[in-house]
Amino acid sequence: MIEIEHVSLWYGKEFKALDNVSETISSGQTVIICGTSGSGKSSLLRCINGLERFQDGKITVDGLSVQHARTNIQKLRSRIGMVFQHFELYPHMTALENITLAPVRVAKKSKQLARKEANELLSRVGILDQADKYPGELSGGQKQRVAIARALAMKPKIMLFDEPTSALDPEMIKEVLDVMVDLAEAGMTMVVVTHEMGFAKKVADEIIFMDQGKVIEKGNVHMFFRRPQTERAQQFLSRILV
Amino acid sequence: MDLSVIVRNAPFMLGGLVLSFELAAITIVAGLTLGIILASARLSSKPVLYYPATIYVHFFRGLPLILVIFWLYFLAPVILGTSVNEFTSAAIAFVVFEAAYFAEIVRSGIQAVPTGQVMAAHSTGLSSLQTARFVVIPQALHNMVPALVTQAVVVFQDTSLGYVIGLREFLRRVNLTDAREARSVELYLFAGLVYFSICSLGSLASQRLEKRRAEGQ
Repeated sequence: MIEIEHVSLWYGKEFKALDNVSETISSGQTVIICGTSGSGKSSLLRCINGLERFQDGKITVDGLSVQHARTNIQKLRSRIGMVFQHFELYPHMTALENITLAPVRVAKKSKQLARKEANELLSRVGILDQADKYPGELSGGQKQRVAIARALAMKPKIMLFDEPTSALDPEMIKEVLDVMVDLAEAGMTMVVVTHEMGFAKKVADEIIFMDQGKVIEKGNVHMFFRRPQTERAQQFLSRILV
Repeated sequence: MDLSVIVRNAPFMLGGLVLSFELAAITIVAGLTLGIILASARLSSKPVLYYPATIYVHFFRGLPLILVIFWLYFLAPVILGTSVNEFTSAAIAFVVFEAAYFAEIVRSGIQAVPTGQVMAAHSTGLSSLQTARFVVIPQALHNMVPALVTQAVVVFQDTSLGYVIGLREFLRRVNLTDAREARSVELYLFAGLVYFSICSLGSLASQRLEKRRAEGQ
């Protein structure tokens, strides 16, 4: 479903953010990407839906090459939902309007239908009662759940999560992870950049460990935690699993 | 103190306010329009748009307005080949000059919208135009309204500089009255009071907006 082949990305001439990354993610899988900050995790995620342009290699999603001139990138993006570390809800719109914007403007649904579906999504993430509130009136956990609902509104086949719980207070992490676990169990294809190792153990089919723009270890989650192969992964794990 | 001099000449002097308001209104509408165009060019990644607009903005922000007013007054007839009245030449000078300031307000308002907002909009499939229309511009407007109101107040104050080329706006008329009546203290205090009252209203509006903005977030 997602085919990443020898992708390299430079920022400027000096800094290589991604270095010959290859990875295949099949439909229905949940893949966790972890690694230190600056290791290229978020860049890789943004390359998948074309928010970042890479200079070398190829990414195919659902048979369509992301950077091909003839690929309708807007259409492709609407099949890939994305959730950000800092929520990025539109502050001038209510929770409901945040969710209905793309279905109305991109998928050309009627406002009525979009609203009905948005309400269903809000109840799925457990915050139907917050529909008419502005992001500024919501807690971090509620904001992130609205953001997940917004990403789901385009009925994506793939969901990308970029450190979805890193900006949350500890007591709100669970409410967001619960929604994500439900999604994974419902068969959504998910690529998740996270350091939530409990979550990883619960749902991940595969884990990828990145360092300095390279994938240096990948495989089964439980194996990775029990017996990391590389020294960098051992160091990383010893630091996050206190 | 002889306040009757003010009462006697009030209709003549306040008549000049009409001209001041006209000049301010033209400057705000045309200056802001030109400012938006300049700001878009300043935000463009194309050098042919970016550099001319950037040079324009820095050039006019580096000059005193009074100089630009003089320039246009003496240069416009040379360039256009016909005589130009004071009002037209002042209006052109104001628009050309204030556009540089409006451009910077618009630019910083747009740049203050986090890039994450654009990414989020793009990630749901919105086009760049839709992202600008529904996500970036509403937030940018919200950011820049207080600064725009403040700049509008400044423009109104600056119209008094039209006086240097003999434009019969409010301050010039106060000046003419003084030449006739020789009551400088009363007349210039009155002029000050009029400017102060009008500008205070503008500042008050700006503060209100600022407060509403703070509450909205």
